[in-house]
Amino acid sequence: MTHSGNVNAPDEELAMHYAREFYGRRQESNRLWVVPRDAIAELDDPDLLKPPFDRSFKKPGGYIIKHKLEAAKARAGSKEPA
Amino acid sequence: MRYPYATMTEIEQADAFYARVAAGGKVEPDDWMPDDYRAAVLKFVEMHANSELMGVLPEREWIMRAPTLRRKLALTSKIQDEVGHAQLLYRVAEDLGKTRVQMLADLLAGKTKFHNVFHYPTRSWADVGIIAWLVDAAAIVSQQALRDSSYAPYARTMRKICWEESVHIMHGRDVVLTLMNGTASQRAMVQEALDRWWGPLMQMHGPPTDPAKDKDLHWRIKGKNNEQLRQEFLAIYVPRIRELGLVIPDPELEYDEAAGRWHYAEPDWDELRSVVTGHGPMSAERLEFRRVSQAETQWVRDALLGTASAAA
Repeated sequence: MTHSGNVNAPDEELAMHYAREFYGRRQESNRLWVVPRDAIAELDDPDLLKPPFDRSFKKPGGYIIKHKLEAAKARAGSKEPA
Repeated sequence: MRYPYATMTEIEQADAFYARVAAGGKVEPDDWMPDDYRAAVLKFVEMHANSELMGVLPEREWIMRAPTLRRKLALTSKIQDEVGHAQLLYRVAEDLGKTRVQMLADLLAGKTKFHNVFHYPTRSWADVGIIAWLVDAAAIVSQQALRDSSYAPYARTMRKICWEESVHIMHGRDVVLTLMNGTASQRAMVQEALDRWWGPLMQMHGPPTDPAKDKDLHWRIKGKNNEQLRQEFLAIYVPRIRELGLVIPDPELEYDEAAGRWHYAEPDWDELRSVVTGHGPMSAERLEFRRVSQAETQWVRDALLGTASAAA
């Protein structure tokens, strides 16, 4: 099962119809699971899903800060270091 | 080049040695050395070893309070590295004629020193980031200058240590960046930690010394003087601190283009002197921890060295 997308519908019956329209028109699906968003419990903790068994925290390659640094600089409103 | 020491008086021997060293010559443990050179290297290396050993204690306080598993493992790994550095440095010092037992005894008795920064408490997770980033950065500035020390075993050890410290600094900077990209209260926590650590950081390299009287410099045990190290630290790190929106708590801190140096408020040298002589806020507590650890592990030394006293 792969996540295909989402539909905006007032109830389950219409949600099923919309889901078929978007994800079942070309026989691309065998089965569709249609659930209200608030029924989904999400697990995204990297400690649990990707524990650092590779010990990347010991290596320079374990610390790619480029995006974090750009975000922090943008927030601070600063340009290149003085 | 080998000097014919056997045909010279001791003074000539020493003069030839110092000329060789001043010209960039290297010294190995089994070379003849004047007593004062040997004593100077020993003192320097011993303080460095002590600092690595004591330096883990502030960070150790946060292993059980790290916010994620990854951070806990990174912090534990860093601490293991630092103790390893202490072992490497005590090994270098032992070859100069002082036993490890004596060095640890002198440390615990307060007769030898360790760097000022390790006498201060930690108050929040932000301290962990600031220490790993900026304290380690200030240390690496010193240690890089030592990679060309005249005393070759020390120089070799510095090269290994510098490589490992560079990963510690990345870890520290990553902790700080994560906090700065977090909530307003996380950013405030970093600023508060910086406010407390800036003073000790500025004191860390020591007061400017008179180059003419600085024997460690003259004998190339170290390659740069205290002020050069501080200037290097400021040049690299002030921009990196400020670009995150942090405010350095020194209104006088600015770069003088004409003079080619940073100006800053005079660090509190009295505080430095008081702290390194064991009067820092955490000096007594941390030395006591080491004393207790040593007592608790006596049975291991007795078992390995066969020194156990008669069974009680």
